[in-house]
Amino acid sequence: MKEFLRHILESKLNEDVSRRRFIQGAAGLATLTVLGAPAMAEEKKLGGPLNFLGWDGEHGGNVAKEFLAKNNIQMQASFQSAADEALTRFNTGGRGSMDILTPNKDFQRAILAANTELFQPLDMARIPSAQGLFPAFKDAPWLTRDGKTYGIPMIWGDEPCVYNPAKWDAMPEKYTDFADPKYKGELVLLDDPFGNIWLFAKSLGMKEPNRLTAAELEQVVEAMLKVKPNVVTIGASHGDMADVMVRGDASLGIGGWAYQTLIAKDKGVKLVVGSPAKDGTFFWSDAYALAVDAPNVDNAYAFIDFITLPESNAALAKELGSGCTVEKAFDLIDASVRDIYPYDNVRQPGGGILGTQIVVPPQNPEGDIVGSAAWVEAWQKFKVA
Amino acid sequence: MTATTGTTGRWGEAGVVARPLLPASLFYVVFFAVPMLALFVLSFWRANGFVLIPDLTFDNYEKIATSSLYRVLILRTITVGFITAAIVVPLAFAVSYVMRFVFETRGQVILQLILLSLFSGYLVRIYAWRTILGKQGLLNSTLQWMGLIDRPLEFLIYSNFAIVITLTGLLLPLAVLPIYSAMSNISRDYLEAARDLGAPAYTLIRTILVPMALPGLRTAFAFAFLLAAGDFVTPTLVGGTQSLLIGNVIADQFRGIGSNWPLGAALAFVTIGIVLTLYFVVMRLIRWVTTW
Repeated sequence: MKEFLRHILESKLNEDVSRRRFIQGAAGLATLTVLGAPAMAEEKKLGGPLNFLGWDGEHGGNVAKEFLAKNNIQMQASFQSAADEALTRFNTGGRGSMDILTPNKDFQRAILAANTELFQPLDMARIPSAQGLFPAFKDAPWLTRDGKTYGIPMIWGDEPCVYNPAKWDAMPEKYTDFADPKYKGELVLLDDPFGNIWLFAKSLGMKEPNRLTAAELEQVVEAMLKVKPNVVTIGASHGDMADVMVRGDASLGIGGWAYQTLIAKDKGVKLVVGSPAKDGTFFWSDAYALAVDAPNVDNAYAFIDFITLPESNAALAKELGSGCTVEKAFDLIDASVRDIYPYDNVRQPGGGILGTQIVVPPQNPEGDIVGSAAWVEAWQKFKVA
Repeated sequence: MTATTGTTGRWGEAGVVARPLLPASLFYVVFFAVPMLALFVLSFWRANGFVLIPDLTFDNYEKIATSSLYRVLILRTITVGFITAAIVVPLAFAVSYVMRFVFETRGQVILQLILLSLFSGYLVRIYAWRTILGKQGLLNSTLQWMGLIDRPLEFLIYSNFAIVITLTGLLLPLAVLPIYSAMSNISRDYLEAARDLGAPAYTLIRTILVPMALPGLRTAFAFAFLLAAGDFVTPTLVGGTQSLLIGNVIADQFRGIGSNWPLGAALAFVTIGIVLTLYFVVMRLIRWVTTW
């Protein structure tokens, strides 16, 4: 019984960086051109179920519809509300019933670094379309371990400041500059402990913003508290942040999402993107991964290969309002979506800035370096203060 | 087989009563009692990164007892719960009175209209309040249009005020139901007799209406206080930067990197304990006031 309870309750991880919650809603409503299935004849026998557990929309419900039908694959999709849900299900009886997962960059990095069993290494020979990925995504460090690849990125983006140009000409140089009283009643943050603490740690000049001592963490919270009087509210998700700005309750979002500008445009409000020049911002990416003991491996490989084709990837990126990960997909995306992401960052090999940038802290303390629980508590103290 | 055993079986009268309760009881045991027990056991465990370690430690409870963070949050949560209940219950009482005794023939129609609001989703209703209370919302725009204010009243949204107003709007229909139901059983004759004997309105309320509607009031208070104290969506969406409640922190402990399920479980049980204790104290007080 004890062992059973332990399995039931064991696990956890990474909450969504709440852009996801918006995607969940937006993707459900989006309609897109359904792409034709490629002529690639699958050598392996396809058909039957394909179990998906990931973010809503990333199952390619619209994009892969024809491909799935043609190959008689029944997509059985269930959607997560937090990144750790896959691990929870895996450890609570889901092992052997899960095929495709869609971890984000930091969750996958944390799982691989911790040697936690969840993802199986991919046979890249079975995903030839992955050759078309942008250089940054081919050998990205958050996707690889011991020379093996564990994920195929499908979308990416950054978290810049999003602001109303009628109120602000430009962003200040640093995040700490938002403490200026001129921003009073104008700021909205995202409820994301790691993103916010990381940005302010970087702004304070800390060399490794994801590896902080207790004293440094306190210093960061103090800096954030100086900004707090100017903050109107803390958005539950990127969609919620956009809503706050569209309503005119705030005019500047920190740690936003470029797609918020398109959401606002649809509602007749002009928002633009721009981050503090000295501090910049951080990047995210989601990937397709294969669960350990996946029961429908052939279907899963065929799906991942299909969805990584330029046409599929472009359609998916457009549907989810995100950056595409396949080089040839770039030209297939409308400029309205394409131009809001800084693609220079993914044209470099080795993950580019996405690879070197680690936003989440270590899961457990490492010597003087505090673990993620301390960050969460610091964020709660910031919110309570 | 006797007639008696034929109708009640070997379980006797108690069995006749218990059998219909069995499905619901079983449901509650499986889907409520067992998970709560698991959560209680979990509150004595430890978390180490992604791994939960079975243990029998009081560290989580000690942390809650010694941390000013949680004390502040629990106090704030209880305050919001009480204030909300203190507004919702009298309002619901007044609405129920009007439905029962003033517009007696239209009571059911009014009730249906009140219940209509429950047909819209919980989140939709919260966003509707955001539309009403926002800087450029309905209320501020109207007040500015009427020339009563020069600039938007910022306290209306993203504040504890907004939480209480929104929760009041959300919970009022739920509070009206039990009170109206209880008042339906109060005969108008009692009120008229009391009035004829010269009882002022206050005495009439304290000695007739409240005692006779007490079961409904009790349920309404439970709905308003417990649901307000346990809510974490409303504070998130209309609460602003000073309105984090204990529910938000408990939710944080169960999701994301850095979460701590055992601490979350302990926080949940401490909150349940405090809230239930206060609930019973208030029930005692109401009983005492109405029999005094």
